Amino acid sequence: MSFLPIFRDIFLLEIVIASVVFAVIAVLLAVSLWRRRAGAGRPPSSRADNMPLEIGYAVALLGIAIFLVVVTANANGRQAQRQEAVLAAADVVTVDVTGFQWCWEFAHRDGPVTVTGACAEDPATRPTLVVPVGRPVELRLTSRDVVHAMWIPDLALKSDVYPDHTNVLATTFDHAGTWLGKCSEFCGTHHPTMEFFIRAVSEQEYQQYLASGGASV
Amino acid sequence: MTAETESAQQPEHRQEDVPPRSRRGTAAAWLTTTDHKRIALLTLGTALVLFIVVGVLALVVRAQLTLPDQHLVSNDFYNGLFTIHGSGMIYLVVTPVAIALGLYLVPLQVGAPAVAAPRLAMTGFWLYLAGTVLIFAGFATALGPAAGGWYAYPPLNSSRYLPGTGQSLWIAGVFIAVLGMIFQAGTVLWTALLKRAKPVTLMRMPVFTWSSIATNLMVIGAFPSLLAAMGLLAWGRVFPNIFTENLWNIAYQHLFWFFAHPVVYVMFFPFVGVVAEVLSTFSGRRFFGYRATVVSLLTFAAFSMSVWGHHMFSTGQASNDYYSLTSILLLVPAGVEYFGFLATVIGGQLRFTVPMLFAIAFVPQFLIGGLTGIMVATPVIDYQVTDSYFIVAHWHYTLAAGSLFGMFAAFHFWFPKATGLLLDERLGRWQFWLLTIGTNVTFLPMFWLGLEGMPRRIATYLPQDGFTTANVIASAGAVLIALSVIVTIANVVTSVRDRRRPAGDDPWQGFTLEWATSSPPPPTNFDREHPLPRVPSFAPLLDERAREEGEERTGDDPTEHGGLRSGGGR
Repeated sequence: MSFLPIFRDIFLLEIVIASVVFAVIAVLLAVSLWRRRAGAGRPPSSRADNMPLEIGYAVALLGIAIFLVVVTANANGRQAQRQEAVLAAADVVTVDVTGFQWCWEFAHRDGPVTVTGACAEDPATRPTLVVPVGRPVELRLTSRDVVHAMWIPDLALKSDVYPDHTNVLATTFDHAGTWLGKCSEFCGTHHPTMEFFIRAVSEQEYQQYLASGGASV
Repeated sequence: MTAETESAQQPEHRQEDVPPRSRRGTAAAWLTTTDHKRIALLTLGTALVLFIVVGVLALVVRAQLTLPDQHLVSNDFYNGLFTIHGSGMIYLVVTPVAIALGLYLVPLQVGAPAVAAPRLAMTGFWLYLAGTVLIFAGFATALGPAAGGWYAYPPLNSSRYLPGTGQSLWIAGVFIAVLGMIFQAGTVLWTALLKRAKPVTLMRMPVFTWSSIATNLMVIGAFPSLLAAMGLLAWGRVFPNIFTENLWNIAYQHLFWFFAHPVVYVMFFPFVGVVAEVLSTFSGRRFFGYRATVVSLLTFAAFSMSVWGHHMFSTGQASNDYYSLTSILLLVPAGVEYFGFLATVIGGQLRFTVPMLFAIAFVPQFLIGGLTGIMVATPVIDYQVTDSYFIVAHWHYTLAAGSLFGMFAAFHFWFPKATGLLLDERLGRWQFWLLTIGTNVTFLPMFWLGLEGMPRRIATYLPQDGFTTANVIASAGAVLIALSVIVTIANVVTSVRDRRRPAGDDPWQGFTLEWATSSPPPPTNFDREHPLPRVPSFAPLLDERAREEGEERTGDDPTEHGGLRSGGGR
């Protein structure tokens, strides 16, 4: 899955940096609370400024900020490149995804197959998007009414879904499996149950699926 | 220094504006007052009552989410609960507290006898109150209160998809309440910049006053954009067809977030100022890094206007790298402010009073909100965690674990000044520990829930989703928060009823001018019995004490602190 590794790498990097910063500040604070308690009898310092130190510190912070910006922009660029590579592939599978109050519709351009569901309380009523393993997949997202968002948490795939606008999510599924997809942009009464399944199957099974007009494989 | 003796008499010429003592206590006197302290107390009091009301809504939300597949309330009512909880806390509680705290304190801290344009400030209060009434009136309408979320995106919030009258009332209420806040913010800014007593130069204003200036600059720069957004939304109530076009949907989001990111700092900066004052007072020393902190607050405020698009990373319609750049750069001014907090404590002699406890807890807790803020300013992380409980956890760490702790630090610190009565320390400590434990137990599991895939704003979830354990823990934490609030109410009620602990003018050995006058201060802030003292620096009462002790402390010459150099003696 092309998005998850990038998310994991950058999240890990930032959580490590954040943990170190938090630990340093928490320890500094805790130690000084103990050392500087009134009972310890240390008189308060009267120093009000230390400009060289403060400016040096601000410059160091700026260095960290620039490092983070560069790493971030780079990761975002890599992600965009992967999407473009997927879209440029000759054998791309294109599915038109339409969000509406309150369910999803998946229309496969490769075959006359359109799937939708009721998205009611019972998970069996939710539609399944079937895609082939190994081939690039392009999801063209739009909405029939309000703003929704398509989110597959386990694959780190997410995009908002707008009326009168098409967003594209492009990825390749490298192994077979079934994942839960959700609506993550609040869209009204039945927002919590606006879920679907996404299922990656072998190319052969995918062709059977299209040929049978969307009968379950 | 003749300037100081002059200004000590300055309040006198306004004495005739003050109603005679016999009429000052009546309801009519309060409701038509032009005294900035009373206008501020009306605003703060209303906001604190609303804090409790809107907090109760969150308890219902937590009750519903505790276990999977629960239906204590309908989906639509649940949507109303989180909408009024979120928008209530932001528009009607934390923002008004952030601004009205300045309305109370800034004129005192700059030695002014009154606020500039007091009737405008009072109009601000009345508009805020009217807006509040409109928003809550939604509960009395057939389809219930507004239920479109605090950022009220179209097309969902057009009359086509949420036809309820409550929705229209909410738009009008938000517009009016926020207009009122712009009025109040303007008067406080005006006072700080143009109505200071002569010896109070810009670089002798306390850190809190500077934080209030930065806050009010953002209010004036960014809040009108919300008025435009609400106007657009109101148009869509009448002509819902405009929101079939992507242009207007995305235009709304730009207008909204242009306001709604700065408002995050409006709800944060005054509490940076509060924490700075409280930490330095109970460290027994001048705030370290005053000049750097002032510069960082102003830089931060300026940059706050350039980051709004980071709320729109997943729209596929924003320049993500640019907004990521500006957002991450904010760690520089934020880091400078933290340096001041820590350095002040590191060189202090600490007294662990109740306000000090809240200020200390603010530092690591807000830090969690800030550090996760850098994460969500990173597009490739935000794509995954936006609109999930990770975000809910992130801004509850900034607003509840951060600003709320700053709010209670301020409450315990200045309650004696405003009422002349001290609160009970023991109950204050109970409140502090319950709130600290409760806040972290409630909001820490939400980071995990978000990473596990729980979207925000879902009225219920299924047992097989695997969200149950963390939600049970979060709800248990919410019970502790509720207990903490009950203890606080008991503390205030018993302290005011028994009147056993008079505060005196300066119960904490404070540093800033409000502690030089009586508690509560006289109508014109400083009078013959309480003249304005000398103001050689941004901590005038600390200087005064040092002078009285006759200690020529090496290195504590006020001229060292930017005070006299930047305009004194002129």
